Amino acid sequence: MKSSLYTVLYSLALGTVCALLLTGASLIARPYKDSNARAAEERTILQVLLVPVGQEANAAEVSRVFAENVRKDESGGHVRYIYVGADGSAPKAVAIPFSGPGLWGPVKGFIALEPDMRTIRNVIFHEQEETPGLGGEIGSAWFQERFRGKRIIGADGTPGITIIRDGRASGLNEVDGITGATMTCEKVKLMLNKCIELITREDKSDGS
Amino acid sequence: MAASMAPGGACAAGQCAGRCAKALKDGTFTENPVCVQILGICSALAVTTRLANALVMGAALIFTTGMSNLLISLLRNATPRRIRMIAEVAIIATFVIMFDQFLKAFYPAMSKQLGPYVGLIITNCIVMGRAEAYAMQNPPLPSIVDGLANGMGYAAVLAVIGVVRELLGTGKLLGFTVLPPTVYTPNQAMVLAPGAFVVLGCALAVYAVLKAPARQEAKA
Repeated sequence: MKSSLYTVLYSLALGTVCALLLTGASLIARPYKDSNARAAEERTILQVLLVPVGQEANAAEVSRVFAENVRKDESGGHVRYIYVGADGSAPKAVAIPFSGPGLWGPVKGFIALEPDMRTIRNVIFHEQEETPGLGGEIGSAWFQERFRGKRIIGADGTPGITIIRDGRASGLNEVDGITGATMTCEKVKLMLNKCIELITREDKSDGS
Repeated sequence: MAASMAPGGACAAGQCAGRCAKALKDGTFTENPVCVQILGICSALAVTTRLANALVMGAALIFTTGMSNLLISLLRNATPRRIRMIAEVAIIATFVIMFDQFLKAFYPAMSKQLGPYVGLIITNCIVMGRAEAYAMQNPPLPSIVDGLANGMGYAAVLAVIGVVRELLGTGKLLGFTVLPPTVYTPNQAMVLAPGAFVVLGCALAVYAVLKAPARQEAKA
């Protein structure tokens, strides 16, 4: 009985000490982790907008380039990141975040459009849990580069892109897919088209 | 091992120094945790694609085994036998998470590359093994030496594998080009999983050759 009580007290004491140590470590690390997360997001946005920034640039450098070149626009209820350039003249590109379900987990990314709002400048999928080597390749540069220069509106004027069998893309709104990752490509197409529909609808309402 | 040690916490100056020296030699070479006990293989295969990753992982293990051995040894007489393993895991997990938080805060890129492997040090057999086999029976000073030595033994093997894999797989060392593409065509297989097995196997063979004279001496 006595030894049981001691065991319980010992566990309590050890547990408390460990918990305090971990709480302390977490509290000390939090501000740094927050600023790292912010820098990571800023770096992704700079990348998708093709704003020149060194690969090895540290968090402070990324923040500086971001503040100089990118304006956040939340009018109309949607977030847009506008690449205005250091001289503050006409926008050079616009980045819009998108997200949706992938095959295995949520996929998040950014699509950047040229100032005409119809030509894709770049696409980045920065968060995804697709099958490594197959669907996971959506996170690779070679796949993301396939979107560059494509139009978000088809020849017949309907908004949307298609991702088709690798090597078959011929139209301006057709993108070569990844062999072995048909499901992931289909999901990616759906989330991109949802975003594209929003963009084109918004522009129409702006015009009227 | 414990039978030959003095009972209790007493550690006379001369005896203690001898014990520390033995712990240092055993941990780093004679009883190397990776080469002899074949422990910690999972991370040794997974994080050695680059030398930098291997070095950070080694540092993480040195820190964890050292600190957890020290604390577990300090508490060894107060810890109830029935819950000693849970207590050991709690202490080990605390240090591992502290190191993980440190990496996440100050070296986010490295933390991302190592992925789950820093957190998985909690289940690394070397840490738990040293706690059970050494720290529970020995005074604090030899225990911390034993912990650090085993961490260094692990780190050394990882560093060797990391050097070979990064050099042959990418032609670089710590990111600097050593073998330019004109001289050497990088072998992708070295960076992939099979390369890890091949290099680890070769490392074990080289270790066995290096250790052979020492073993014969011991027999004689």
